[in-house]
Amino acid sequence: MALLQTVDLKRYFGETRAVDNVNLSIEEGEFVSLVGPNGAGKTSLINVISARLTPESGKIIIKGEDITRLSVTQRVRAGIARSFQLVNVFDDLTTFDNVALAIFSREGKTAHLGTLAHLDHAVANEADAVLKQFGLAAKRGDNARDLSQGERKLLDVALAYALKPKLLFLDEPTSGVSTRDKGQIMDTIASVVRGEGITAVIVEHDMDVVFKYSDRIVVMAQGAILAQGTPDEIRKNEQVAMVLLGSSGPDAFTRKD
Amino acid sequence: MDTLVIQTLNSIFYAAVLFLIAAGLSLIYGVMRIVNLAHGTFYALGAYVSAWAVGTAFGLGASGSGNLVLAGQLLLLPLGAIAVAAVGAVIEPTLLRPLYRRPEEYVLLITFGMLMILEDAMKFLFGGTPLSAGSIMDSMGSIRIGSLLYPSYNLVVIGVGIMAAIGLWWFIYRTRFGIILRATSQDRRMASALGLNVGRVYVQAFAIGCFMAGLGGAVVVPAQAAVLGMGVDALILAFVVIVIGGLGSLEGALVGALIVGFVRTAGIQFFAEIELAVLYLIAAAVLLVRPTGLFGKA
Repeated sequence: MALLQTVDLKRYFGETRAVDNVNLSIEEGEFVSLVGPNGAGKTSLINVISARLTPESGKIIIKGEDITRLSVTQRVRAGIARSFQLVNVFDDLTTFDNVALAIFSREGKTAHLGTLAHLDHAVANEADAVLKQFGLAAKRGDNARDLSQGERKLLDVALAYALKPKLLFLDEPTSGVSTRDKGQIMDTIASVVRGEGITAVIVEHDMDVVFKYSDRIVVMAQGAILAQGTPDEIRKNEQVAMVLLGSSGPDAFTRKD
Repeated sequence: MDTLVIQTLNSIFYAAVLFLIAAGLSLIYGVMRIVNLAHGTFYALGAYVSAWAVGTAFGLGASGSGNLVLAGQLLLLPLGAIAVAAVGAVIEPTLLRPLYRRPEEYVLLITFGMLMILEDAMKFLFGGTPLSAGSIMDSMGSIRIGSLLYPSYNLVVIGVGIMAAIGLWWFIYRTRFGIILRATSQDRRMASALGLNVGRVYVQAFAIGCFMAGLGGAVVVPAQAAVLGMGVDALILAFVVIVIGGLGSLEGALVGALIVGFVRTAGIQFFAEIELAVLYLIAAAVLLVRPTGLFGKA
């Protein structure tokens, strides 16, 4: 059984078909890239699946369970976590507290009024382990606002990761960072995700990154799935090259202008 | 010299009460972005409930009848704070929550309505005559400072203020709930995206803010009787405190309360006619130089 299955998922904005009859299937443990030109509906699709947008019609199924009507909070509980295109971390909290917050949320014990966060060994150990995995251990006491853009991106992913999701959506985790940081961020994410066997769906524009890290690539255009397949299959797909790069030919993806 | 010590103690006593009220107001604003106009009235309600509880249980003339009675009376005082917290826990989900989707003026108007209704409800419940728990103050006696006497109870209030400041700081910066509270206050949408139950955080934050107001009323009532209108006076001063200190800032509430406490005491001594005007002037000056208050964030 697929981990995630969308059935004829639809979301229009007036005349614009942001998500148009999408039937997407994600298997457990896959690392899937969602690509396509701007306005292809990638973020809209993630927004619908993570309850940021309500679909006009269609179903979202996680492991056979229909979650279409669940709220944001309930979907997080059902195992869907996401990071955002624009960094979503709590600036006034320390790096450590940001991660601890995600762990608290997962445990669902917000009513535990008196619990000493910093003396709660289980949480502290886990938060430190997550920070280490994401290379942020040295910054545990810094406020999130004082981190570099690349570190903030990683922290954002770390928060989603600390929710221990079944399915992790990462919306452009490398946007707005330098090329040098890009490789490092992707290496970190890939090693954590693969190491823990997490199913991840990543939205990414940089095709070098996409080809390097994905098990499978899903190409979207005008709200619909245009093609999907392994990196090799997609690399050879002329229709995809046309849509993504506006040119075709066997070396379309490797040519640098 | 003795007078100076006493005036300093008076200022700190006054600042302690103001801090309790202003910290609650600031906490509610910081987390929920609600300017709670009924906050002063919650303070008054706390004072009335505590005075009523002490008076009902021990009778009005029970002063000087032993340590046991005094202990009982002191134990009953926090009842006002607990009662106000309970009122807050009912008001937030029923009266405020339905309005969050509307412009914030609606919530402001509702809190103003609550002020009016609660003022009348208190008049109806407790009558027009002041209600006092002065027997506590009488039976605690005084301490000698040089050649002058100072009521021991005032030192209790100062102690409660200090403990509340430390406790609140610890609560907000060192506990699990505090982290959740600060995250929610920073970005409510992001907090819910992370799977946090924002509705529950709101009702808890509102109840804690109300508890602080009620505690202010509860500790002040042995020193000053509960009277009608005390809530509105307190609200105005609490606003001066947080305008100076910065809305939504705990440190701001503390420093603002100390400034207002000392200026007020000096005012009563040296410039009684313009004492309130001086406070407004300070608030206006802070607004001109640092519109977000001394500790506020933009």
